[in-house]
Parts: sequence; C-alpha cells; structure tokens
Amino acid sequence: MMNTDLAAVPTRTAGHPLLRILVSFPIACFCGALVTDSVYASTAEIAWADFSTWLLAAGMFMGLLAAIVGLADLVGNRRLRRPRSVPVAVIGSLLVLGVGFLNNLVHSRDAWTSVVPDGLALSAVTVLLIVLTVWLSSGTVYRTRVIVQPAGTRS
Amino acid sequence: MTSFTKPATHLALAAAGILALTAAAPDNFDVRTQIGPNPVLPPIQQYLVPPMKLAPSVGWKQGEMPTVASGLRVQALATGLEHPRSVYTLPNGDVLVVESRSPELDPVSRPKNIVMNWMEKMVTSNGVQSGSNRITLLRDTKGTGTPDLRTVFLDHLYSPFGVALVGNDLYVANTDAILKFAYTPGATSITTPGTVLTPLPGGPIDHHWTKSLVASEDGSKLYVGIGSNSNITENGIGAELGRADIWEVDRSNGAHRIFASGLRNPNGLVFEPQSHALWCVVNERDELGPDLVPDYLTSVKDGAFYGWPYSYYGQHVDPRVQPQRPDLVAKAIPPDYALSSHVAPLGLVFDTGNSLPSHYSGGAFVGEHGSWDRDILNGYKVVFVPFSNGKPNGTAEDVLTGFVDAKGNAHGRPVAVTLDKTGALLVADDVGNTVWRVSSANQNQAAK
Repeated sequence: MMNTDLAAVPTRTAGHPLLRILVSFPIACFCGALVTDSVYASTAEIAWADFSTWLLAAGMFMGLLAAIVGLADLVGNRRLRRPRSVPVAVIGSLLVLGVGFLNNLVHSRDAWTSVVPDGLALSAVTVLLIVLTVWLSSGTVYRTRVIVQPAGTRS
Repeated sequence: MTSFTKPATHLALAAAGILALTAAAPDNFDVRTQIGPNPVLPPIQQYLVPPMKLAPSVGWKQGEMPTVASGLRVQALATGLEHPRSVYTLPNGDVLVVESRSPELDPVSRPKNIVMNWMEKMVTSNGVQSGSNRITLLRDTKGTGTPDLRTVFLDHLYSPFGVALVGNDLYVANTDAILKFAYTPGATSITTPGTVLTPLPGGPIDHHWTKSLVASEDGSKLYVGIGSNSNITENGIGAELGRADIWEVDRSNGAHRIFASGLRNPNGLVFEPQSHALWCVVNERDELGPDLVPDYLTSVKDGAFYGWPYSYYGQHVDPRVQPQRPDLVAKAIPPDYALSSHVAPLGLVFDTGNSLPSHYSGGAFVGEHGSWDRDILNGYKVVFVPFSNGKPNGTAEDVLTGFVDAKGNAHGRPVAVTLDKTGALLVADDVGNTVWRVSSANQNQAAK
C-alpha cells in the first residue's frame, strides 16, 4: 500500500472525490427509508411515512447530483471506462435511481397505501440494488489492485 | 402494535399493483351513471401520478355571464367582490355576501404538500390571497336585482363561511369559532365586536376550512358542518378529532354534541321544507380514480355515521386507512343521492319561494365548484335536483352553466347558493368575484 501508483488506482477507479461524498447520501437516505417504512408498516403512525417521503426525496435529489458528477467523470477520464467495475456501477446506479423515482411517486399517495405494500417493497428492492451495486463494483476495484500490484509486495 | 400485513405478501402485491398502474384505461365512464340514489362505483384505482386538471381562471369580462336554463334569466347582482363564498338573505331582504379566503394552515409535512398547497390556492382563489374575510351587504329595495346600497357589513373576520340569524342574534361561523353579533333590523354595518359562542376545530392544521351554519327551525340549536383535516387521514387520525362531523350547538350556552359523523366535508346545511329534515352536500375523498368517490346530497340523520374515513357509500372500505375499523364500517349508512365524482358541491338551497317556475318548486339547487383531479372536468355549474315528499325524485338537471368556456378556461366557479326575498336564486362565484341572481324569465317580462 506504500506504492504511489497503487494509492492512485482506487481514487481513479472510484472517480472524483466529490462523487464519493455525493454517493453516500442516496445510500444513507434510501436505506433510511426502508427503516422508516418498516416502522410505519408496523405502527401505522403517519409521521414515519412522512419521514420516508423526505428521505426518498433527498435520496433522489442527491442521487441525481451524484449521477451528473459521475457522468462528467466518465466523459472527462477515458481510463475510468476500462475497468469492468464501471459499467456495473453505472447500470446499478441507474437502476437504484429508477426504482427510487418510482418509490417517490408511490409514497406521494395518501396514508397507508403510500407505504404498504408497494412503497415498502420498492424500498426493499432499492436497498438490495444498492448492496449488489456496491458489492459487485468494489470487488472489481480490489481485483484491479491485484492486477496492478507487483507480486511479492502483497501482504 | 403488530404488523398489519405479512412482508411476504408485500412484494407480490406490489408487483401486481405497479403493473396495473401502467395500464390505466382512458376515461370513457358515463358520469350520468353516478347521479342518483344508486351510483355505479368502479374499482379503486391508485395512482403513481394523480391527474391534476384545473380550468385556468380568467374571470368575466364586461357583459359576459353564465348560461341559464330556459324559462330563467341571469343577471349579476354584484361584481368586483373579493372572493365571495357564501350568501345569506336577511328578513328585510338585505343580502349578506360572505367574502372569505383560506386560512392557509396546510402544513408542509412532506414534499407532496408543496404541490397540493399550490393547487388548493388555485382551486379556491386563482392564487390571490389578499383582502376578503369580510361580509358585504347588498340592499335591493326594488327587488329587481340592481342593488341601490352596498356597504361593508362586517369586517376583519377569520375565514368566515356560514351565517345564521335567530331573532336579533347574528351568528357567523369563522373557521375557528361561531361568533355572535347583535343585529338591529335595517342595520347596514356592525362595528361592535362579536363574542365566541363555541370554538370550532381550526388550526394548527385546517384543511377543509369552510364552516357551514344553519339554525334549527325553532331557533334553539345551530348546526355546523366541520370538514375533515385531510383527504384520507394523511395528517394522522389525531388531526381529525371533532371533524368530518356535523355538530349540534345549543344556542343558549354554546355546548355541542356530534349530530352526525363520517361526512368528509359537509356544506350547504339547510332544512328540507316538507320533511323538515336537515340536508347537506358532501365532498367525498380523492385519489381513488376519476370516478371515485361520487360527491353527494343527503339528509342527515341524528347519530348516523356516513363512512369517512373508513368506507364510502356504506361498506366500500378505503384501503388507505389504517388501523381499519370494521365496527364502524358495519354501521356506515349510504347517502341519499350521488352527484357524480369530484364535482365539489359547496352550496345547497331548496326552492321555497314562489317566483321561480313551478317546475322548481320544493326541489334543491346545488352549487358545484368543479373538479381539479380528473382529466375531464366535472361540475362547474349549478344543478337542480327535483324533490317530492321530502326526497329526491328524478335526475339532476343543469340550471346555470357556461362557467367554463370552449377553450377550457373558467370564467367563474359557483359556491354557495341561497334565495333572495323575492324567491330568486343567488349564487356566489368566488373566481368570477360575482354574485349571480337567477330569476324567472316570465316574471321579468311581466315587470317590463
């Protein structure tokens, strides 16, 4: 990990640092919405459904910002297009935003059916897609390191 | 509290639900099948994006006016008013025009409210939110529809709607209280402050804010309509305490009891002349489809429950309300007469005069403010429902139309209706800022 080339690889692979900051918002917000949806589904206390709507709206807004920055990174840096992780991250992110958008619409319904069953199911699907996307794309980052890292320096 | 449904069923239901949403059929529903005692109720449709279609408000130009049914004549009793919502005729023939605007207390508890609050402003006032909140007096000494006196009768009210005079006690229903004022016959203004007879559910949230008012025939009681605080409990069931009800208020001490419940937004409270029963018009719930749930005209039975929020038209359960109340659903009674969906009835009066054509005698005039949440506009007119033996008997017919022109612009929107001292029909038009007077065409010829 002392190798300067190696230190540069994950940064480039993961894109601009700004993207990393932005991407954490939709992840946190969409995961949070699954929690608040679940609490609403078990209590029917409307405040929890309201929390979900704000989390989903914030997740969507920051997710769109992250998508714009991510696309700008892709266009501006050809090397980013080479690793296999990138198409996985792009497709995964678009799926997350697509389902997230649908979920925002479902949550704009009034009272119980804004969450149960459609909203809660979509929140669960969103979180599943996030986990898969992060898992598959970060795995590739690790393999990229392995390929670039000279044998013998690995711990 | 335990979970209401099993998570395993959520995914399957959601998939089916979302597929169904994408296949919304064009609306070729015949709204006439929803006018009368047994309306056709299509299946529930839940939206991803609910339709929002409001006729843009353009107002009336000089000389423009709504279209009236044959045998009748329409004229503007007063123009240039500030958002007139309600009209009331005093015993000496003076007409009180209640000019009122929303208290604007709808919260922004979720992003949707930002859109809906804007929509509500456009629905009720074309976005204009100044002035108003007062009562204007019109005196038409000759009874021809051209007032010779117009004064500010009562100012600085708080989103008023209902008015009732018993003896020399004048009651005004602000959105948060029934106020009592001393009235002197012939007075053209009241400057002495009113006293609170009974506080009414107002803020902090005040979704349906118009409080309709009528006095019992013996004058001992007041009946007041109190609309729900949400479309369908999305502000929490706690916000609905004392709402979606008609209260009976004891005029001697201000004490109240709930006379009838489950009426989402009851307006136009009035006594039917033959049966002496209390009647009203009710705005039913939104966002279950363009043809659900039909608004209605109904007699109000003492102690009865009419369904909101748990069910509609008897035992049709609304899935958006949780926890559900099967005990209350079982008790719910259907209303008497459906007016079709989203017409937004806000005014009701029976023809107890003797100057309109005899065809109208004893029947009900209903002011339909008009739809905003279906693609094909509905309402935006005054209709007549024939009555016999104290019950609706026949199909509703148009009395005053032409509020929306061929281009889909709204010149005006009818709200409350009443009769003037001559028996002519008065219609408050809150978008056209006008009070319309509908009288017999023959009578007019005779007067000439």
